[in-house]
Amino acid sequence: MNNWLECDTRFIPAHYQPASLIDLALGRGVNVHRLMQGTGLFHDDILAGNLLISPLQFLQLIANLEQHMQADDTSFLLGEQWLPGHYGAASHALRHAANLHEALERLVCLQPLLWPLLRVRLRVDEYHVWLDWGDSFGAGKQNVFLIEAGMAAVTGMSQWLSGQRLPWTFHLAHTQPRYIEQYWVHLGDDLRFNSPLNQMCLPRSYLPQPWSSASTTAGQVAEREGQAMLAALPASQSLLDALHDHLVAQVRQPLRLESVAEAFDMSPATLKRKLQKHGTRFQKQLDHARSSVALELYLSRGYSSEEVADYLNFNDRANFRRSLRRWTGLLPGELKDWLRGT
Amino acid sequence: MFATHRVKLTALLFAANAGLILHLLVGEIKPVMAWDWLDIAGEGGSALLLLLWTCLLLKSRPAGRVTNLLFLGLACLFFSLFMDSVDEFIALPDAITWDGWLESGPMPISFVLLTMGIFHWHREQLAINEQMRNRERVFREHRHFDKLTPLGDANYLRTQLQLALGEAADEQQPLSVIMLDIDGFSRVNHGYGHAEGDRLLQVLTQLMLLNLRQHDLLCRLAGDRFVIILPHTGERQAQVLATELSEAVRSLAYKSSRHGERMSLSATVVALMAREEDSEALLQRLNITMVRTKRSLTIHCGRQTG
Repeated sequence: MNNWLECDTRFIPAHYQPASLIDLALGRGVNVHRLMQGTGLFHDDILAGNLLISPLQFLQLIANLEQHMQADDTSFLLGEQWLPGHYGAASHALRHAANLHEALERLVCLQPLLWPLLRVRLRVDEYHVWLDWGDSFGAGKQNVFLIEAGMAAVTGMSQWLSGQRLPWTFHLAHTQPRYIEQYWVHLGDDLRFNSPLNQMCLPRSYLPQPWSSASTTAGQVAEREGQAMLAALPASQSLLDALHDHLVAQVRQPLRLESVAEAFDMSPATLKRKLQKHGTRFQKQLDHARSSVALELYLSRGYSSEEVADYLNFNDRANFRRSLRRWTGLLPGELKDWLRGT
Repeated sequence: MFATHRVKLTALLFAANAGLILHLLVGEIKPVMAWDWLDIAGEGGSALLLLLWTCLLLKSRPAGRVTNLLFLGLACLFFSLFMDSVDEFIALPDAITWDGWLESGPMPISFVLLTMGIFHWHREQLAINEQMRNRERVFREHRHFDKLTPLGDANYLRTQLQLALGEAADEQQPLSVIMLDIDGFSRVNHGYGHAEGDRLLQVLTQLMLLNLRQHDLLCRLAGDRFVIILPHTGERQAQVLATELSEAVRSLAYKSSRHGERMSLSATVVALMAREEDSEALLQRLNITMVRTKRSLTIHCGRQTG
């Protein structure tokens, strides 16, 4: 397939996630014109109910919201409203999941409809379930906001549907913010800042516990309808996500911009330009892909640094140390200490 | 707020305009060479700033006696400075003396009016302080007002806690803190919508304020979690207050706004006495105590505490 969602593809229904953002802002007295500033959107068009907006416009809305709300809990409040949300079949599919495992699988599968700006990856190993948050469109300054919202959304949804607060652990790539109390209240107290990746982790035993309010048949029908909605999108995946998957799959091969561009059926210059449009570079994407592979090997398979270096075809230890530091900000020894804490 | 003051502002601009026209009728415009730029910048600039003050005052204050006095004072001051700067551009024949009255006459009146206005403003502020009891201590910082409840936010709490810790250490008095978290609050948000959740938090704020003593301070930490600073209070007394608050929440017969049915509410309340630590460490310790209490309540009593 040669088609991807890009940051200027209009595919997000404005009356879905953006609408609850606008409602929250209006409810807290933000001027509607200021909220729409620079987005090229008008409130009346959104009310019409058939407007599609691009990730860039959505990110601008979030930037405006942050500027005019000036409250530390905005991202968390919004996140809690965004899932399961009111997005037709996709939301029903989540609402009627039989257990956490099914809900998370549906979230991953219907992600462009449910959570358009961030990529969610699910990984289940021997003891834990890992939820990994990736950036689909180059969120830039709004990344922390989206991570907070995303984690609050999954925490809130799993608490509501399971009827109990689940003991999630939160790994956050940013440094601890001044408003730590918002994390305590909306997420939990098991927080680790300055982590290599944005991840949530939970003991595996919580996955199959049945949820009482679910209607299995309705859920399955809704999931199929959701997949039909997904097929109606201009493309099923964002360019950055497709690139990430490609890099992860080929991580043991030598990877260069030229060969990857060829695999994506475009010229190196075009790929470079498209990445630039998303505020990123090829090397940054490659580093990110390698760090997520390395982390998975460390966390889920218990690899030693030597084994990870071997797997990623590093012949030189010093080179591996340097690279690991660039990907994760940590040296192998520090990373080991960090892992011991998990 | 501007709409209610439209008449006042129009009258002021009309008066200023009338003064200008009067000058133009009898005087002659000075040549540019004769303009004294320093005077123009000083007097004209002051007049413009006064107009800005007047607008800010009208925009931020509700109508009433204090607002009227302050407005009239500022308006007279503006008028006299405006006439003063018009003087710089228009030369009047020597025979005319009323221009001096226009410039200097309103000035003393304005100072009398402003003095009266500020005096009554002071009285008004004392009355408002009484209304802010239990929500504010020692100093005010409007950037630290919570956006939802009429309380200080976590930043205000931090500065106040640091202050209270210092005072307690100086006076060798005990200081205690209480943390209160509503059980299963997320179910209210999911079941009844966020607007209902917001309303409930506002009602709970009022309820807690009614249960506090004169010098206690209530702040909203985040979400449905509140912290109360209790100066001159030992652990035992703090525990009593905590139990009272928890009972108050349980017996609150809150009705939902849509169907009017009663929601049964409960809160987990923990109290701690401050040791020799800073505000951040105390908050952290308080939060850990809260998390442990909730966990043990869920395990032992099967209570939905989330």
